[in-house]
Amino acid sequence: MSAQAGPGTYSPAAAAGDRRRERKEELRRHLAEDADWPRADGRSFHDCRPAFMQTGPTTAASGSAYAEFGKTKVIVSVFGPRESKKAMMYSDVGRLNCNVSYTTFATPVRGQGADNKEYSSMLHKALEGAVMLHTFPKTTVDVFALVLESGGSDLPIIISCASLALADAGIMMYDLVTSVSVSCFRKNIIIDPTSDEEAWQDGSLVVAFMPARKEITQLTLTGEWSDGRITNAVELCMDACSKLGDILRDRLKDTATLTCE
Amino acid sequence: MVGLSEGEKHFIRGGIAQDVRTDGRRRLQFRSLSVQTGVIPQANGSARVRLGATEIIASVKAELGKPSILHPDKGKVAIFVDCSPTAEPLFEGRGSEELSAELSVSLQRCLLGGKSGAGAAIDLSSLIVVDGKVCWDLYIDGLVVSSDGNLLDALAVAIKVALSDTGIPKVNVSVSAASDEEPEVDVSDEEFLQFDTSGVPVIITLTKVGRHYIVDATSEEESQMSSAVSVSVNRHGQICGLTKRGGAGLDPSVIFDMISVAKHVSQQFISLLDSEIAAAEAEEEAQ
Repeated sequence: MSAQAGPGTYSPAAAAGDRRRERKEELRRHLAEDADWPRADGRSFHDCRPAFMQTGPTTAASGSAYAEFGKTKVIVSVFGPRESKKAMMYSDVGRLNCNVSYTTFATPVRGQGADNKEYSSMLHKALEGAVMLHTFPKTTVDVFALVLESGGSDLPIIISCASLALADAGIMMYDLVTSVSVSCFRKNIIIDPTSDEEAWQDGSLVVAFMPARKEITQLTLTGEWSDGRITNAVELCMDACSKLGDILRDRLKDTATLTCE
Repeated sequence: MVGLSEGEKHFIRGGIAQDVRTDGRRRLQFRSLSVQTGVIPQANGSARVRLGATEIIASVKAELGKPSILHPDKGKVAIFVDCSPTAEPLFEGRGSEELSAELSVSLQRCLLGGKSGAGAAIDLSSLIVVDGKVCWDLYIDGLVVSSDGNLLDALAVAIKVALSDTGIPKVNVSVSAASDEEPEVDVSDEEFLQFDTSGVPVIITLTKVGRHYIVDATSEEESQMSSAVSVSVNRHGQICGLTKRGGAGLDPSVIFDMISVAKHVSQQFISLLDSEIAAAEAEEEAQ
């Protein structure tokens, strides 16, 4: 049960609605006037990196997924629902247990990824709102994420890949969870930053979003932002999350098609 | 904390819907805040903050260290949070590790700004002694002594008060002939530098219960929350950090509304905090 597809590039530039399009065009002109340099990898400010996603790379797991966004490579395995450890108390809803770790070779300096110990709880909060925990009482679903290479925007890719793995495992969910981050530089906002861009950002914003339900399950912000910029950045992220959600659904359909054949 | 019965839960939610909470507060009203400075004489700066029944002790220690390679012109700040078992039985052993990590990362996100250093609450350039060689390392420790909800807001207040109490010794550098040698530093015992803490933000946590949101939730109210948004706002009304907590998803327009409410509430909270800090410093000088 393995589905593989070529990389798809998604961009939030094609927005729905006239008012939103006008606002985005105005924002784009504003960004273009302030700085006209293309990014190091040739993208414009509001373009995401090519996304490659695949389900089923790990045969031992109930569900698994592999994601590659530019240089960032992530693999996620899902086990369960399975019996909870006896130390845990009885619960009439299921338990979701998330763990994010980095390989020692994931970062330019060996072993540097161990600093991101808060990613596990952030991944848990992002997925908790989407998984129907009441459908597997007294049991536990374990999500293990491993970052094979860290090339920037690691956490959003982990979240998107984990929701794909949960769907591959057959866990009932309200919606897929997709996630995108933006970096803020003095006047400009760029989406899906690389690690080089992240190293010099003035601020950052990470959005985890359920596209079909239009609900935000995770939102974190760093640095100094004004109200208007937060609104613009969140809407930019939601556009990109919707595009990414379409890509995830295509991957799942490919898997289902192969199974039917 | 003992679990709540269904009747108690219903009472809490119903009260919030009626804008009357179990302790008589309105939805956007804080519990009483008291502040004390200089509680730990050995530390460079310290503070004790009580917000209702939540109590936090924060201390700041300064050590001379080496600047990071990426930012040779800036000092370093690290924030740690310790959830003591005296605050809550659940905090025993490894039970508090995840909460401590989450709180310290949230505080770092709100206080230290972006990776370029812009937007940081403390001017990190003022911590440099010798460019690329010697700088001050600030270690900020928050200790949760008593826990009754709203830890993040109380921790942010304690850190702000501790920073206003902090004195950094003045450092005299003797110029050595060879520039590649380690410079000799003489730490003064008499002269101290103080921080400008006007840029340090406060954190306002809005907890969503039912279809309303409240500030300064107690433990019982937090157990009824569907989600919460912690907004860090500075004196100028800029958003310095934002963290969504709790599992349920939130509509984007609700989040934007919560940000606006947090900015509004933070104005009076900052004024209240400033007067409390002034009173605490006056009391300390009187001793």
